Amino acid sequence: MKLRWNVVAPLALLVVLAGLPLFATEYMLHIGVLVLLAAYLATGWNILGGYAGQHSLGHSLFLGIGAYTSTYLFAQIGLTPWIGMWVGALFAAIVGWFVGYLCFRYGLRGPYFALVTIALAEAMVYLVTNLNALGGAEGLDVRWVGHNPALMQFEGKTAYYYIILIMTALLLFGVQRYSRRRFGYQMIAVRENEDAAEALGVDTLAVRIRALVISAVVTALGGVFFAQYYTYINPRNVFGEGPSVQMLLFAIVGGLGTVWGPAIGAILLVPIAEFARSSLGNTFSGAHLLLYGVVLVLVMLFMPNGIVGLVQTLERRRRGGRA
Amino acid sequence: MTFSPELIAQSIITGIMIGGVFALISVGLSLIWGVMRIINFAHGEFLMVAMYIAYFLVARGGWDPYATLLVTTPALFLLGALIFRGTIRPILGHPSMNQIMLTVGLSLILQNLALVFFKADVLTTRTEYTRMILSIGPVIIRVPQLIAFIGSALTAFLLYWYLQRTDTGRAIRAAAQNKQAATLMGVDVQRIYLLAFGIGSATLGVAASLMISFYYTSPTVGLFFGLIAYVVVVLGGLGNFLGTLVAGLIIGLTESVGAAILPGSLSRVLTFALFILVLLFRPQGLFGGKRA
Amino acid sequence: MSELLQVRNLTKHFGGLAAVQDVSFDVNKGEIVGLIGPNGAGKTTTFSLLTGFLTPTRGTITFAGRRIDNLKPHVICRLGMTRTFQIVQPFPEMTALENVMMGALVHHRNIDEAQRRGRNTLARVGLAHKADTPGRELTLVEQKRLEIGKALATEPQLLLLDEVAAGLREAEVDVILDLVRQLNTEGITLLIVEHLMKVIMNLSQRIVVLDFGQKIAEGSPAEVSANPLVLEAYLGKEED
Repeated sequence: MKLRWNVVAPLALLVVLAGLPLFATEYMLHIGVLVLLAAYLATGWNILGGYAGQHSLGHSLFLGIGAYTSTYLFAQIGLTPWIGMWVGALFAAIVGWFVGYLCFRYGLRGPYFALVTIALAEAMVYLVTNLNALGGAEGLDVRWVGHNPALMQFEGKTAYYYIILIMTALLLFGVQRYSRRRFGYQMIAVRENEDAAEALGVDTLAVRIRALVISAVVTALGGVFFAQYYTYINPRNVFGEGPSVQMLLFAIVGGLGTVWGPAIGAILLVPIAEFARSSLGNTFSGAHLLLYGVVLVLVMLFMPNGIVGLVQTLERRRRGGRA
Repeated sequence: MTFSPELIAQSIITGIMIGGVFALISVGLSLIWGVMRIINFAHGEFLMVAMYIAYFLVARGGWDPYATLLVTTPALFLLGALIFRGTIRPILGHPSMNQIMLTVGLSLILQNLALVFFKADVLTTRTEYTRMILSIGPVIIRVPQLIAFIGSALTAFLLYWYLQRTDTGRAIRAAAQNKQAATLMGVDVQRIYLLAFGIGSATLGVAASLMISFYYTSPTVGLFFGLIAYVVVVLGGLGNFLGTLVAGLIIGLTESVGAAILPGSLSRVLTFALFILVLLFRPQGLFGGKRA
Repeated sequence: MSELLQVRNLTKHFGGLAAVQDVSFDVNKGEIVGLIGPNGAGKTTTFSLLTGFLTPTRGTITFAGRRIDNLKPHVICRLGMTRTFQIVQPFPEMTALENVMMGALVHHRNIDEAQRRGRNTLARVGLAHKADTPGRELTLVEQKRLEIGKALATEPQLLLLDEVAAGLREAEVDVILDLVRQLNTEGITLLIVEHLMKVIMNLSQRIVVLDFGQKIAEGSPAEVSANPLVLEAYLGKEED
């Protein structure tokens, strides 16, 4: 029963989501894209933050690397983002490996790791702002060449919606699968008790670095989609603290270290935030960020295990009550 | 671009002045870490709040900028103490991630509340001090920066003296070194935490009043100073008081000399590069620190 | 008998203090060796040195013919030497079965295989009925058993047990004693640190005595308990 529910519910959800463009307005599709992109990025953050327990405050570093690589390559040599995305992913992997090695080698973690990641992302904001080749503070445009699937450019929002839907579905499927495999268990073991994991033959350094690299690659691919969808990137909006905070926020609200938590967090919060932004945005541009801040504080104070954690606790209590 | 000796001398002087302020801004963060192993990621936003208070007292109330100390310092102590009491104390025993995220949430709230109330405008004051300069040969010292440097040094010295020489200061240090032992010695650790958080925040009140004559105020100003503080405390060794002061000067010099010889805001990149190099070769900070 | 573990002039300084000083001993294949000494004698430090959690200041450690004194703990575990911790270290959010599976995963990448072996191991340490209970919800006694189970699941040649009987009641101690003997008859070599003399004297074929970081005696339980140096070390430390 349990196993079947685990398979049926996501598949049903996938079918419903796949059918959405048949009757949705452009605006609804836009919200759909935002929700899915947020779910995708939060799920990617969760691999490192939730499963391996290393909380990056600067994951926009990888988002920006992906977005800038594909956009730059397209602008300079006309390379299609379908290939550029993998170049971006490779860069992100290299940077991720380097950052992971630097930090984890000497056991920098917890608040230290948070400080380092936030500083690295911010350094990129300043670096790219000063690089004219990358458009400086103005950023880069993805030049519109007309509807051209081979260059990842589409009329309307439907195609973008399906791309991010497939990316998110694949990612969730991967997380679901690998969290129940050796590497998934190793990540959790490292998070739960590093010494014990090491004593039981887990190469804790390698596991951490690997989690960071995977998370970085996933995030960079999301960055490429971000650039193609918005067709414009600048240092602040891809490397800045905004994307970093959102990635971790949805994961935390939904439930760290759970397969569905980050997606649930995004589904709940993004529409509300978008509503706040569109209805209050004119008078009050930080409405959605203020909301995020309040949610983050309240969740940390009253339900630090997120929605999925809360449900699990209630479930256990219910079962415990019956037994 | 010419690297004249005058230019270099000038940037070194400016760097030291600014570095003093950086040190003061960072020392509170380091103190809070040393005592309760928490990084307040809203540290920069606390400073931003203090700067708005100082700004309005000067711009609307016609106060002397340095007289605003009398308001900003206790106000920030209160802000720190209240936020500690209301949000941080309840989750002291929780995983560090929860404390990090809570303070990140606080920073978002403060930053965007400021945006609501004050808009994104960049506010600057023109005080009688703003244009005062001292000339030593070819080198110019801006008086408000000099006052800020002296004020920062004085505040850091007072804080150091307080921690070293008073009973309460000793209790704070005892709690920082060993919570259990401190409890056994009859130290009320909860009160010490509150005090440390308050004092750590109050230093930002002082910093804001010292800076208001020459630095602008905006809702995102905390972002910049917060990051500077993170870099400084890591460089100096988290929880290392004197290390933080020296690191503040180093970062001030890096920014200032970097700005003199590099185009644009690349000096900021230099600062972060220094930060990364330290992580690479001396992750415990240049002067050693207290790890979690 | 052949040596499985060779320790030579093992030394560890913390700052200026020598926690372990020039300690040498062997553990032969199939033996149960006890490591005893008053509090602060350096037993747990020795364990941490042997298993790679600390790097020796000086000296060599050879395991199964291979120098291991600069290897990381996970490598040493893979080579066949696993430790338990004096203060139990469960994975709190993982179930008991998953805890033990972490051990099995060292040599078995397949989850189903690790799970099967995990269940067997759980049964051996008497926790089969707790398979689905999270580590943090187990009682101390159960966590002690889990600690052995996790280490056992790595299929070690040499198992280092750090005070597994401490804090247990008489009957529970006997259960653990039986388990340890059982493991030994199956061919696992054991090095045990234990505070309870009853346990050590009962189990060990040979005992190494440490005091202030130095080896002061070595021999059979009877020899050691008759050794005046040992008596002095213990009597002089009567307060604990």
